[in-house]
Amino acid sequence: MAGIADFLDSLIGGFDLMCFALAIGGLLWGLCVLRPWQPLSGIAPLLAKSTITLIYKGGFWLAAAQLFKIILKVWLMQTILATSPFPEFAGTTQFIGGIIRIALTLLLAGYAYRYLSRWPQSKEHWRNTGLLAVPMLVSGAWLVHAAGRFDSRVLLMSLTVLHQLAAAAWIGGVFMLINLWQLTHKKAVNAELWPLLLRRFARFGLLAVVGILLSGLPMAWHYINSWNGLIGTGYGNLLMVKVILLGLALGLAGLNHTAVRGFSITGDHYALGRRVPYYVETEALVLVILLFTAASLASQPPAIDIPNLTATWQEVLGTFTPQWPQTNSPSHSALLAGEAGRVAIVGQVPSLAATEWSNYNHNIAGIFITAMGVFAMFSYTRLAHSHRILAWSHYWPLGFVGLGVFLFFRSDAETWPLGPIGFWESTFNNGEVLQHRIATLLVLTLGIYELMARRSQNSDSKLPLMFPIFSAFGGLMLLTHSHIGFQAKSAFLIQVGHTTMGIFALILAGGRWLELKLDAPGKSIAGFISVAALFQIGFILMFYREPLY
Amino acid sequence: MLRHLLIGLLLSACTQGVYAHAVVTEDSLTSTPIHVGQPAHVQLSFNSKIELGLSQVFLVSKGDKHQLLAIGPGLKQGQIIITIPALTTGDYALRLKVFAADGHLTEDIRHFSVSP
Repeated sequence: MAGIADFLDSLIGGFDLMCFALAIGGLLWGLCVLRPWQPLSGIAPLLAKSTITLIYKGGFWLAAAQLFKIILKVWLMQTILATSPFPEFAGTTQFIGGIIRIALTLLLAGYAYRYLSRWPQSKEHWRNTGLLAVPMLVSGAWLVHAAGRFDSRVLLMSLTVLHQLAAAAWIGGVFMLINLWQLTHKKAVNAELWPLLLRRFARFGLLAVVGILLSGLPMAWHYINSWNGLIGTGYGNLLMVKVILLGLALGLAGLNHTAVRGFSITGDHYALGRRVPYYVETEALVLVILLFTAASLASQPPAIDIPNLTATWQEVLGTFTPQWPQTNSPSHSALLAGEAGRVAIVGQVPSLAATEWSNYNHNIAGIFITAMGVFAMFSYTRLAHSHRILAWSHYWPLGFVGLGVFLFFRSDAETWPLGPIGFWESTFNNGEVLQHRIATLLVLTLGIYELMARRSQNSDSKLPLMFPIFSAFGGLMLLTHSHIGFQAKSAFLIQVGHTTMGIFALILAGGRWLELKLDAPGKSIAGFISVAALFQIGFILMFYREPLY
Repeated sequence: MLRHLLIGLLLSACTQGVYAHAVVTEDSLTSTPIHVGQPAHVQLSFNSKIELGLSQVFLVSKGDKHQLLAIGPGLKQGQIIITIPALTTGDYALRLKVFAADGHLTEDIRHFSVSP
C-alpha cells in the first residue's frame, strides 16, 4: 500500500494550504477588507456570517488535514520501514508540532464557530479571533522545510511563515471574492458591495503580493543561490513554475483592477458584472494550482544542496529540441526482457527498449494532441460552420477518447493489462503507476464529457465546464508528476518537460473557462489562447526523448 | 455537482512521490574506499537533521539481497555512521530510508565497489 500512502501524503500538503488560505485569508479579509463592525459600513450581516462560516470551516478542515498528515506519516513509515514508528515518532518535532498546531487550529476555528458567528459585527470577537490565529501561525514554523536545516534556521522558518501568511491573504481573499459574487448574483446582498469590496481588495491584494515577494525572494536566494540552480534543478524548476503561475494570476488581477478603475471613472457596471467574476474564478483556479505546486516544492531538495546533480541550461534546452517523432515501438517482449535489469539495484542494466517504449508513447500522444489542435483551430473557421462534413471538426475532443484507449494499453506495459504485474499490486504499490492510471481515466472521461457537451441541446448545461476542470486537473498532475527509477538529473530533465506541459494545460483550462463565460471579444481571445496551449502540449510530447539512465 | 467534482479532483491529484527532500551532501565512500575482508564505517552527511530511530540503512549485494546495518550518530548534526561488515570483492549499494526532521521520508541508493 506504499503507493496510496505516498499518493495521499503528497496531495494532503496542497489541501492543507487551501484550508489554511480559507481560514487565515478569510480572517484577514474580514479584519482588513470587510470590517463589518464599522458603523455605516453597509456590510450585510449575511455576508459577514457567510465569511465567518468559511473561516471556521477552513479551520476545522485544516485541523483534520493536519491530523490526517500525521496518520499518513505513521502509515508511510510503517509501510516503508516495515516496523512500528512508535515510540520514536512521538518524540519528533513533526509529531509534537503537528499535535500543537491541531489544538491551536481547533481553538481558532472553535472560537469563530462559537462566538464570532453569533456576533458577526462585533469588533471584539473579530479581534479575539485574530489574536487566536497568531499562535497557530507561529506553530506552523516547526512544520516547514526550514525546520530541519542547519544554517539560518530561525530566519528561514520566520520567512516561510510570513510567506504563507501573505499568500493566504491574497488567495483567501480571492476565495472570499467568489463567495461575495455568489451572494451578489443571488441578490442576497446589496449589489453596491461588489465594486466597493473589489476596490478595497485591490489595495489589500497588492500589499499581500508585495509581502509574498519580500518574503519569497530571500528564501529563493538562500535555497538556490545561482542561475544554474534555478534552471537546472527540480527545486528551481518548480520555483519558476510558481513564478509563472504568479504572473498569470497577477495578469488576471490586473484585468480586474482595470475593470474596477473603469467603473470608478465611468460608473458603467458592465465589465464588473459580466467579466470580473470570471476573471476572479480563473484567478482562483491558477492560485489553487499554485498552492499544490508550493506543496510539491517542499518535497524537493534545495538547489544549493545538490550542485553535483544540477543540469546545465544546454541540457534543459535540449529536452525541447524539435526532432522527428519516434513512430516505431519496440516489441512488448523486448520491453519485458529488459525490466529485471532496469529495476535492479546492484548490477542495474539500463533498458533501451523501455526508453524507446516511453518515447513512442509520448510522441504518439503528441501526434494525437497536435492533430486535435488542428481540428480544434479549424472548428472556429466559417467553413466548419457552413460545410456539413467539415462541421465534424467540432467533435475534435473524440481524439481524447482514442488517446485514453492508447494510454490504457501502452503506459506501464510491465503491469496489467499487458504485463505480468497485476492491477491491484501495480496500482497501489507504485505511486507512478497510480498517477498514470488516473491520467488515463482522466483523458477518457474528458473526451466523453466534452463530446456529450457538444451534443447537448441544453443551453444551460454545465457539461461544457467539465473540460476546463479536467484540463486543470491534468495540469495539476503534470506539475506534480514524479518519475521513479531514474538518476536524479535524468528525473529532473523529465520533470522539466512535464511541468512545462502542466503550465500549458492550465492555460488551456483557464482559456477554455473564460471562452465559455466571457462575451466578445474576450471570448475569442481566450479560445485562441486555449487552443494555442493545446498545440504547445502536442509539440512538447512529439519531441519528447527520455534519458536512458 | 461542479463544486463536488472539483473538490474530488483536487483530492485525487498530486502524487509527487519524491522522497528526496533530505539529500546526502557528502559521503566517505568516495574518499575512503572499502577493502576486502575488512569491516568499515561509512559516514554520510545530510542537508537536514535526521531522526535516527526512524531511519534504516541496508547493504544490498548481488541479486538485490538486503541486509539491515547498524547506524549511529556522527559528530555533527545531520551525520550518520554506518557499520559495514567484512565484504568480498564485488559491487554493492547502500539503500537508505531516512526520516528527516522536516517530516519527509527520504529514500536513496549509494553504489560502491569492493576491490582487493
